[in-house]
Amino acid sequence: MRLRAQVKKEVVKVPLSVDERWDLIENISKQTVEFGAYKHTLKDAIAELTVKPLTGIPVAIAVIYGFWSFFCDFAGTLFTDGFMVKIFDEHWLPWLQSVFPGGLRNSFYALMVDAGHLEEGILVASDNCFEAFGVLTSGLFIVFGVVLWAILAFYLIFAILEDIGYLPRLAVLVDTVLHKIGLHGYAIVPTFLSLGCNVPGVTATRPLETRKQRFMMMTLLAIFVPCGAQIGIMQDLVPELMGWIFLTLAIGYLGFGFILNKIVPGKSPELIMDVPPYQMPTLRNIGRKLWIRTSGFLLVAVPFVLLGCLIVGLMYLTGAMDWLAAVFGPLLMVWFGVPSETVAPLIAGFLRKDLAVGVLGGLMAQGIMTTFQVFTSVILLCIYFPCLATFALMIKEENWKELLGSLASLVAMVFVYGGLIHLVGIILGVA
Amino acid sequence: MKILLMGHPNVGKSVFFNRLTGAKVFESNYPGTTVDFMKGWMRLEGEDVELIDVPGAFSLEPKDRAEEVAVKMLAENRDSVVVCVLDASKVERGLYLALEIIERGYPVVVALNMWDIAEDKNIRIDVEKLERILGVPVVPTTAISGEGFKELVSKIKEAAPVKIEGVIESASAVSAAASAGKEGGGESAAVS
Amino acid sequence: MEKKLSEMDFDEEGTVKGIEENLRKQVAGMGIREGKKVRMATKQPIKGPVVVEVDKSVTSLGLGIAEKIVVEVG
Repeated sequence: MRLRAQVKKEVVKVPLSVDERWDLIENISKQTVEFGAYKHTLKDAIAELTVKPLTGIPVAIAVIYGFWSFFCDFAGTLFTDGFMVKIFDEHWLPWLQSVFPGGLRNSFYALMVDAGHLEEGILVASDNCFEAFGVLTSGLFIVFGVVLWAILAFYLIFAILEDIGYLPRLAVLVDTVLHKIGLHGYAIVPTFLSLGCNVPGVTATRPLETRKQRFMMMTLLAIFVPCGAQIGIMQDLVPELMGWIFLTLAIGYLGFGFILNKIVPGKSPELIMDVPPYQMPTLRNIGRKLWIRTSGFLLVAVPFVLLGCLIVGLMYLTGAMDWLAAVFGPLLMVWFGVPSETVAPLIAGFLRKDLAVGVLGGLMAQGIMTTFQVFTSVILLCIYFPCLATFALMIKEENWKELLGSLASLVAMVFVYGGLIHLVGIILGVA
Repeated sequence: MKILLMGHPNVGKSVFFNRLTGAKVFESNYPGTTVDFMKGWMRLEGEDVELIDVPGAFSLEPKDRAEEVAVKMLAENRDSVVVCVLDASKVERGLYLALEIIERGYPVVVALNMWDIAEDKNIRIDVEKLERILGVPVVPTTAISGEGFKELVSKIKEAAPVKIEGVIESASAVSAAASAGKEGGGESAAVS
Repeated sequence: MEKKLSEMDFDEEGTVKGIEENLRKQVAGMGIREGKKVRMATKQPIKGPVVVEVDKSVTSLGLGIAEKIVVEVG
């Protein structure tokens, strides 16, 4: 044995040990690489300025503000308000209403085109695609009229920031805060990406090192980060509330993260992250990313939104929705302070969040909700359940213990945070 | 035969991939995980060869899910040529991964990517010498402009597995020769 | 003079003298090894991470990690 060990020492063991490999690398690089004198360039100066707190934080705020402005102007004002609302409300809806067989009292017509609504006891036709709530009207309007443009705008900017190399710098800047809740700066990437869609957001949790971090991240994403589809619809419906919505969600994210960090066992390792130099993004790469992400979105969104529309429509027609409203109404009214009709968007929210906000838009048009109730409902829609696609991914990603943990957190969070918002509303006298 | 594209995160690997492949690319999901990778085809001597963009990894000792998948994909494709994409301004870090792959017996082509940036930083790399020591093709590339890609593609068929003992030997042989040369020079100077 | 990496001043340069054993493998992938020159690029306030430059590449390290690396400066 001893002899063999001696012999073995002579030959190189494959694979090499870490130190052997580094020794070899140093030997190689000593002979082949020469670091010449190097002048710092403007690019390096910018690279450092954007990661230094004094200059980097204002830059980060400017970048995020610019992102948001573009998102609203491009998706909201230019495409949705400028073209899509006109196309859908002034041409598509009236055209369908005139050519589709049946009529207001026909069930199939109600499901596909326009369920109509009561005005002083009389059923009248809808004049916009939020109210109509047919598969071919509201369903298509939500996807192609609003959400597609929001998603496109979001992914375009995200791809540019990604390819330039800005995200790691943002991660360094927010590490200080996120480290306090047991995550590290890198968590900004899944969080940010989730603002587009929670599905790739959950996927992007994979570079987090420990199970604890991944679990925390997924749970926080599922509860507190609204997706681009939802944001797009919200921005269209309640633009004046967006600031409050984001603030409420951010407080929830950090506050609940702080609590989770205290109760979830496991380690929260510190940040070790490469900060690459800035690079010029290529059109081709950005185009390709945009195409892959947007087509991926459409593939999931179109069937789910249309199916969801159909299910919600059927539940209204069969009276199931009224029954659910009667059952859950007291809870919704007493605990959360929202009308029993909110049950409809909550049901839709199981499938798609954009659809849910769309259903809420229909309720708002009927004038049965106060502004504060709309605000509370929107927050509830964000936090009460991740959409089906996200949930399916979480089933795949988490083991059953973690999944139960996520669900328990979810339920606790909905009741505590939802109730708290109601309480604050009562104290402020707006609820 | 397949071609695996491997390298650190942030070395311009996806730009690299886009440049090598045609229009037909797919994003796939590694079975049982949520780690996605890109797959496409490239033309190599009149043949369509599958090219896989393996998730970025700093080493083959995985520390997260993406690196785990990278290691598995490498193990599952024993018959592939690995194009190892390095950041030319961070050769040492990149060589760590490249050597790990070489040690496992894969034919490797090393691409020193972002060559333009390395030049800007005044980093000089003796490509020929590096090639001689490693025993595998080494090609400087700039993925963004496409420089070096023709040469890279032509070198893929030259790639063959090398023994790590050989690399160690040639590294020390070249360094010994270099120091011998210096000593020799010193002696002759002393004589005259 | 030896001090912890976390105690280096902004823009100060030094040479890595020692890395805590269990950390070695982790930072090796980033090119941080004994004998390497490091420059402190930025330090984030309120116990935030540090950003260091080694061999022209920039790496961000949590403060707790930076405390386990000893450097020789001056």
